[in-house]
Amino acid sequence: MFQVEAGGTRRTIDVQRAGDGWSIAVDGRVTSASVSQMEGRWSLLYGGRDEKGPRRSYDVVLEPRHRSHQLIHVDGRVVTVRFLDEARRSRGTAATEAGVREIVAPMPGRIVKVLVKAGDSVAAHQGLVVVEAMKMENELRAPRNGTVASVRVTEGMSVEANAVLVVVE
Amino acid sequence: MRVIRACRDMGIATVAVYSECDRTARHVRMADEAMAIGGNPATESYLRIATIVDAARMSGADAVHPGYGFLAENDAFAAACQQANLTFIGPTADAITLMGSKTAARRTALAAGVPVVPGTADPLTADVPLSVIDDVARSIGYPIMIKAVAGGGGKGMRVVERADDLAGAVRAARSEAAAAFGDSSIYLERRLSRPRHIEVQILADHHGRVLPFVERECSVQRRHQKVIEETPSPAVSPSLRVRLATAAAAVASSAGYTNAGTIEFLLDEDGAFYFLEMNTRIQVEHPITEMVTGVDLVQWQIRIARGEPLTISPGALLTPLGHAIECRIYAEDPDYGFLPSPGRITSLRTPGGPGIRDDGWVEKGTEVTTFYDSLLSKLIAWGIDRTEAISRMRRALTEYEVAGIRTTVPFFHWMLAHPVFVDGRVHTGFLDEVLQNRPAESQEGVDLSLAEVASVMACLARVSAAGMAQGEASPRPPISPRPAARTWKQQGRLEGLRG
Repeated sequence: MFQVEAGGTRRTIDVQRAGDGWSIAVDGRVTSASVSQMEGRWSLLYGGRDEKGPRRSYDVVLEPRHRSHQLIHVDGRVVTVRFLDEARRSRGTAATEAGVREIVAPMPGRIVKVLVKAGDSVAAHQGLVVVEAMKMENELRAPRNGTVASVRVTEGMSVEANAVLVVVE
Repeated sequence: MRVIRACRDMGIATVAVYSECDRTARHVRMADEAMAIGGNPATESYLRIATIVDAARMSGADAVHPGYGFLAENDAFAAACQQANLTFIGPTADAITLMGSKTAARRTALAAGVPVVPGTADPLTADVPLSVIDDVARSIGYPIMIKAVAGGGGKGMRVVERADDLAGAVRAARSEAAAAFGDSSIYLERRLSRPRHIEVQILADHHGRVLPFVERECSVQRRHQKVIEETPSPAVSPSLRVRLATAAAAVASSAGYTNAGTIEFLLDEDGAFYFLEMNTRIQVEHPITEMVTGVDLVQWQIRIARGEPLTISPGALLTPLGHAIECRIYAEDPDYGFLPSPGRITSLRTPGGPGIRDDGWVEKGTEVTTFYDSLLSKLIAWGIDRTEAISRMRRALTEYEVAGIRTTVPFFHWMLAHPVFVDGRVHTGFLDEVLQNRPAESQEGVDLSLAEVASVMACLARVSAAGMAQGEASPRPPISPRPAARTWKQQGRLEGLRG
């Protein structure tokens, strides 16, 4: 059983082997699926009409998984999938609820400005930190409304790619 | 690669030059011969005129094509080629010098009877005091644009809304221009409120013939950098097309221009157009013109350089067949302020099928570095009309799949569906305006079903072999034909951990 979030929607998903294929329960709704691999690429037949009828076909590529999220290419679209239970477990606290967001440095750079402090309420799109990389300043913004759980950087600090800068709950 | 392809189509052998990190680049492997010219920073390789000219001489090449980056608009390079008895495939050094100076180019346009955006006629060099600039700005009328005389690519460009902001903007523009072009001279122009960027491709031979093509519209720009181009423009009527073409040809003739070039205009909301600048090279967006006219522009560059007369029928160039759109696919992360996203491409699939042309250079395994421009590909869609071109582009984008690095493909899913773009009501400030309201973590084109599929797939990956999530890294077949034991064991382990 997994708690995952993608496209702004949270789902509880259970996957079980069923004969040659899989039985998938999404929020309790059960569907069958067939998966085949071909050199780093996956063909997923999932959902659709009924047990005997045609199923929807998806072309999927998985990128290496990060600590609590993974990028999945579905029919050429990139979808970010977050494992909520993973995020909770890795921190060993129950406080991190659905939609905890780590704002990470997109590439190595320097922190020019920190615009928030822990405890601040932030609105979606509000600026959190300004990072300079490749001689360009870029404001990293809040992905959604929330509270700043922690600020991990200070002004002037150099950061590596994927370093966690701010955590928004 | 574009140039190598044109040469091969014509039966001409090619010699590529490369920097250290480009040793295995596709253009090197594609060319007939290749020569190393230095280190990774462009200043140690692709910008070294003497080294490149030497390489060309040693290789026994007859001609040099400068491409569209690096030295493509460098008059010293054109002159150096000429001195070394190499044919430079482009305009003369004098024409590059003339049109490369933005103020001289404006004077040339005026002399040809083509209106320019109201502004300064002469460069404001470093020694011109701010008080003088202030007077000039007031006489033009705010808001104004500050631009670098030697400029290009949006560098050294500033918008000034009020006189109070002038001093700071002048300082910033000068320092940026000095850093980028080694010349801090600037000039001022009135800023039109919501202009469209319309440009006219021309070809000019050495026999006095200048042929203008149907216009391209490049109004979808991010920070003055073109993002989407299309032809014909949805805002240009057949009669305006003829007037633009006539004006472009007049500017090129007046400059004594030869080979391929582009005259850029701003089209005001009231239908008036103004000369903006001239690009003295083949441009990134040239393929859309090729798609609607059937003319291979790079082949014609070579023919013109060989002294051949233009034999294309001029009428056909202004009556395009269908509509073409280009999306510039960059290695940039649209969710992080379009920052470069270097790295190794772990999986790549490019689109194809009717009306699609993908001018890209990367492959699976390509390491995208930050040394050079991060343009990965130019995706071009052709349709019998604009609606079909947009549909095909959207379809092609769903086929485009680059894993391992972030690209601007998701951004284009969003842009091509944007009602303002679909209605063709864009202007040069449009994209920067709408980007303000684009969600920070956007999932363009990701509807509920796709999000669900991705979620399911991620879970399947976790439950089956551990290696599945890591792609090919695992030596084990990720979905075992006998999965039950491992699946249940892992499931149990996860439950235990969670409990």
